[in-house]
Amino acid sequence: MKYKKLLLNSIITLASLLLLAALVVYIFDPFFHYHKPLPGLKAVLTDKEYQCVGTLRNFDYDCVIAGSSVCENYNNYWFDAKYDVTSIKAIKSYGGIADLVYYLDVAYENHNLKRVVFNIDPAKLAAPSSTTFEESGCPMYLFDNNPFNDIEYLLNKDVLFEKIPYMISKSLIGDYDEGNSYNWAQWKSFGESETLSHYYSSKDILEMKDADYYADNCEANIDLLEELIQSHPETEFIFFYPPYSVLWFDRIYKSGDTQAYLYNMKACAERLVTYSNVAMYSFISDEAITTDLNNYMDDVHFSDDINYYVVTKLGELEYQINSDNLDSRFDDIYRYATQTAVSKLNEYGAMIQQEQ
Amino acid sequence: MLFNSYIFIFIFLPIVLAGWYGLNKAGAHKLAMLFLSIMSLCFYGYFNPIYLLIIIGSIIVNYSLSLLFQYTASRMSNLFGLLIGVFFNLGLLFYYKYYDFFIDNINHIFNSSFAFKNILLPLGISFFTFQQLSYIVDRYKRKAKHYSFVDYMTFVTFFPQLVAGPIVLYDEMMPQFEDLDGRRFNVDSFAKGYLLFAIGIAKKVLLADTLAYIVNYGYDNSIFLDSLSTYIVALFYTFELYFDFSGYSDMAMGLAKMLNIDLPQNFNSPYKACNMKEFWRRWHITLTRFFTNYVYIPLGGNRKGTSRKLLNVFVVFFLSGLWHGANWTFVVWGIMNGIGVIWDNLYLLGAKNDESARCPKIMIPALLGQILTFHYYLLSMLAFRADNLSISITMFKKLFSFTYTGSIKRLFEYADIPENYIFRQALSIVRPQYSWIIELLTIIILIAICIIVITRKNAKEIVLDNEPTKRTFVWATVLLFLSVISFSQVSTFIYFNF
Repeated sequence: MKYKKLLLNSIITLASLLLLAALVVYIFDPFFHYHKPLPGLKAVLTDKEYQCVGTLRNFDYDCVIAGSSVCENYNNYWFDAKYDVTSIKAIKSYGGIADLVYYLDVAYENHNLKRVVFNIDPAKLAAPSSTTFEESGCPMYLFDNNPFNDIEYLLNKDVLFEKIPYMISKSLIGDYDEGNSYNWAQWKSFGESETLSHYYSSKDILEMKDADYYADNCEANIDLLEELIQSHPETEFIFFYPPYSVLWFDRIYKSGDTQAYLYNMKACAERLVTYSNVAMYSFISDEAITTDLNNYMDDVHFSDDINYYVVTKLGELEYQINSDNLDSRFDDIYRYATQTAVSKLNEYGAMIQQEQ
Repeated sequence: MLFNSYIFIFIFLPIVLAGWYGLNKAGAHKLAMLFLSIMSLCFYGYFNPIYLLIIIGSIIVNYSLSLLFQYTASRMSNLFGLLIGVFFNLGLLFYYKYYDFFIDNINHIFNSSFAFKNILLPLGISFFTFQQLSYIVDRYKRKAKHYSFVDYMTFVTFFPQLVAGPIVLYDEMMPQFEDLDGRRFNVDSFAKGYLLFAIGIAKKVLLADTLAYIVNYGYDNSIFLDSLSTYIVALFYTFELYFDFSGYSDMAMGLAKMLNIDLPQNFNSPYKACNMKEFWRRWHITLTRFFTNYVYIPLGGNRKGTSRKLLNVFVVFFLSGLWHGANWTFVVWGIMNGIGVIWDNLYLLGAKNDESARCPKIMIPALLGQILTFHYYLLSMLAFRADNLSISITMFKKLFSFTYTGSIKRLFEYADIPENYIFRQALSIVRPQYSWIIELLTIIILIAICIIVITRKNAKEIVLDNEPTKRTFVWATVLLFLSVISFSQVSTFIYFNF
């Protein structure tokens, strides 16, 4: 029994230290899993996989900006000013429609939304209509409502030693802009040479797939969107196709996807524009933006100037798709994909690196 | 279930301890054994429930053979039982571990295209197969007695040693399980187990997993490394593997000790060894014991002359390499270690160690012997860690290219651990151009800690061979706290796939 006291002291001290660590994480809560930022601290949002769900549950807002990495550089305040709302971002890199719909379901649990601004990545219409959080390694303990697995958050060295100090330092030092949540553009360089250095054109050209090649996945994804729209007639949904560069058109041409992707985009638009609470836009064939590689850092990721441009143009007829202009708009997009983009790609010619 | 997981520490372990001591206190000793084996199967099945079918099937077959030995007296039927046991156990191991490797080699040699099965390797299969094989051989030799099914199942599945050893023998485990006095809660034994577990988990979580960041980057980018960074990567991997595996073994010993069961020591400060022969008496001791008893001695050991002895040593290390994994990289590692041990058996050059009866012809200082032995093992690690021979050859070439391209700076970035965050940020505000100093310091401190840990007393010496002090408990508290808050980002145990 000579070690009894030492053992007990050690176990009690250990338990106390662990409780203290959990309490510190609970109080500061840098992933906003339990509450909004403490008074005096800012909502420092840099880890979307960890913070999106918590902020959607606990923050005050009435507008959600949903999309992939190309949406991270929108400043929430641009939307706030334009639509007189309080915005929040729901971002999933490489995420599909189902992921974003999941986020919106979380948002609707405790919020009435005036607007949802939804970036549709054309490639994601062809992807399976199931969520990808688990397979992409997201911290599911922050997604579910199981309090027991929160231990992975509450007793977490990274959170204690890095995330909490980071949140405090960003709140107290410098001028962190809460509207710029998840922004990565500030760390990147944009330009033609940068873009071309990050793009490798496939040396093989695969046979063009039939237009309805991905129809099953596409229909299932549209079903998800329709269900969301129908469930929330009080919300105005703004869907849009983002302005990818001409290099993206090279990529989908080489992979034989052009026809199928354009078919999916049209199929999606056809069904969504029938709802009175939906507005739909496309920037995918905006020649001035997409053929100028100075706007990009790779084939899809554009600078925040383009994000700002998109916000200013939402609502303008020039980019709108509705039941009256649907066919002509997609004729234009098809023409752009098969002629304008090809012609521009030919101009770049040897400047485009080929895959080895 | 990993030892270094919340569910193990906060749920599984308390339930096992309460159930084991509670049932034994109530006098339900058989039920306690059944409880322990069922909990061990839960521990195993948590990784993948399908694995349970394999381990339970293996237990049933081996137990049936033991039963056969019990009820047959004829030499032929005994021999038949032995052959069935050997073929079954090695066959199971071959099928799950080596089938695709075998097919791959056949396809290469004969330019054929036999299909792979892509079989998922059941965790710890090498460990529980060897454990049962040794029991079957000793049952055949009538050295081991027959036990009840529950006792046998508990012996095989005992969770502290189930997935990564040590490889225990029936005669060191069964008497402990049968000792009813040992089943009473003993606070001193529990405290020592607690300390061993704390040391083991810190070695695994705080050291091995931190080193792994740098090692993984190095191997993933081997073509970009220069000589210095290749050496650092190899050095860190040599440390990582030791802390990972010996940490696991310390945790296993500690958990068993909490249940008042003694497991054999698996690592006895191997990096203190003066030569490879001594090294292998200190590294993965229970595997060496298995190969010595069941391969080396049956092959003739040292009884048939020097040449035959050296050949036997070579065979043992060849098989040991293969046991570690179905890849030629492990075979190369085994052969390199075998050559090292053969060299030491020639007694031409080396350091005198206390256990050796003979002195080498040319003596070198013990410290030099330790450094040379460590670095010879480090070289073999270049093959052991590589995914294929091509990468290991690249690593060898890089190490001896005597180039410096500055790739060490990229390695430094992987020493960017969260504990440094505040210092890194502070320096980046005051002197941003010098923020790399924090990473350099981290590397230096890591190396210093590793050297201190491998050259001082090991876990057994601290906890079991000496009286733990108040300071030991204070350290254990701190290490356990730091380890538990590091779980969210810890990696899988390296030795699980062997």
